[in-house]
Amino acid sequence: MSKTWMVVALGFTLLVVGHGIGLFAAPPEAMMGDVGRILYAHVPTAWVALLTFLGAFICAIGVLWTGKLAWDAAMEAAVEVGVLLNAMLLIQGAVWAKPTWGVYWTWDPRLTSALVMCLSFAAVLVLRSLVHQVKRRMTLSAVATILFFVNVPVVYMSVKWWNSMHQEMSSPETVDATMVLPLRIAAFGMLFLAIGLCMARGRLALARLRREDGAPDLPERPQALDLDSGAPHA
Amino acid sequence: MSPLPLQAQLLAVLRKDLLVEWRGRSRAIGVVIYALILLLLLSFAIGPDTRALQAHAAGYIWLTVLTASTLLLAQSFTNEVEGGALEALLLLPTSPVALYYGKALANFGVLFGLSIATVAFGVVLCDLSLDGSPWTLLLVLALGCGGLAAPGTLYAGLTVRTGAQQLMLPLLMFPLVVPSLLAAVKATALCFEPDVMGQLGSWLGVLAAFNAVYWALCGVLFIKVVDE
Amino acid sequence: MLDGSIEGGWGYVITVYGFTWFCLVAYTASLVTRLRKDPDA
Repeated sequence: MSKTWMVVALGFTLLVVGHGIGLFAAPPEAMMGDVGRILYAHVPTAWVALLTFLGAFICAIGVLWTGKLAWDAAMEAAVEVGVLLNAMLLIQGAVWAKPTWGVYWTWDPRLTSALVMCLSFAAVLVLRSLVHQVKRRMTLSAVATILFFVNVPVVYMSVKWWNSMHQEMSSPETVDATMVLPLRIAAFGMLFLAIGLCMARGRLALARLRREDGAPDLPERPQALDLDSGAPHA
Repeated sequence: MSPLPLQAQLLAVLRKDLLVEWRGRSRAIGVVIYALILLLLLSFAIGPDTRALQAHAAGYIWLTVLTASTLLLAQSFTNEVEGGALEALLLLPTSPVALYYGKALANFGVLFGLSIATVAFGVVLCDLSLDGSPWTLLLVLALGCGGLAAPGTLYAGLTVRTGAQQLMLPLLMFPLVVPSLLAAVKATALCFEPDVMGQLGSWLGVLAAFNAVYWALCGVLFIKVVDE
Repeated sequence: MLDGSIEGGWGYVITVYGFTWFCLVAYTASLVTRLRKDPDA
């Protein structure tokens, strides 16, 4: 257990350092000025969100391949942490967009596919709460996770095509050398933090799943009362 | 009894499903009527401005087809489950491949019919005129419906006994079909207006790729899932 | 105007960082609490 919290603490520490440098020591961005410092919060969140969902995808394959609860717990954790990071990145992005692009939202391929990704995996979490049978829930959410993850690049490409008639919004693609260091530190910070949070959340999920697996199954569906037959009903 | 060859099994499943659909055709007709009413509602929501309707007709048509498709797809496996037929089918030497693809093709057929009815109604309501070959339009409709049938059949099978299928099927399908929807709407729109920049080909390409990926992937996943 | 100066720039920066840290800390705290309460974890 303490291993988990050490990873989390490491993550937070690196993040503090990365953000600290980014906010106070690094130079302001050439075009955006100080608003460009949002980079150190936004970009690590985006990278790690995608990596977390990749982790969920791998766990989903593990679920289908082995049927073991541990994979299901890890998948549940990764999806939840991923959705958190994804929601964060969308809001960070919207706030960043207001001063730089003038609007909160555009149909930029990255932003749009991030939104679809967030809603998809949020749907997986909802699905998990709707299905009460452990085996069925595991299978359904694994299949959905796999399909939704495969969908991410497809959505990205199609929105890019869809948008190609309109002007692409510019965003900092190349990062200045002086900004690379805090960005990298913050990215590693976010990565360790996400791993630690997944470990913790996974533990919680596994405990719950083990308890559920031990409990008797709920009936399939409530049986309609048969009042006409005259026979005593169950 | 040795199992039939794969194509024969597939055709048997396809034929059975279409026959069942035909015998219960009042339900399918009901879904078509639902779709037409939905299209009407969308048109009312936009208003009687013919130009606005024409500009976005393709969008309304596909939204209608998508929404109605969940109703059609949901009952894909219901017939099997009630009466324990699913277990019976799986005990028989029916390969899961044949089961999935047979059902998916049957669903595709019904969806295709639905889309034709919806487009026809849309042409009338929004005063559209075809620019180019009707075969191209049919191809677009076929590819669009294919993109719905493949994942829809898989998800229908997975959610059939969960009790909250009405909510789950749309939640699962809608985010997945975003690329297909984009491409289908764009391609459909280009069938009704002059394709000045020659984009129809690339949208058809997107649709074809989407179909190729999902017909293959969903089949694989179905086989994996059924092996329990 | 993307010319290196945006008014109220720091306001946006503080909002984003504040929001980010709030989410991360709150989620971590909720996990800590839930793990403490769970006898099996």
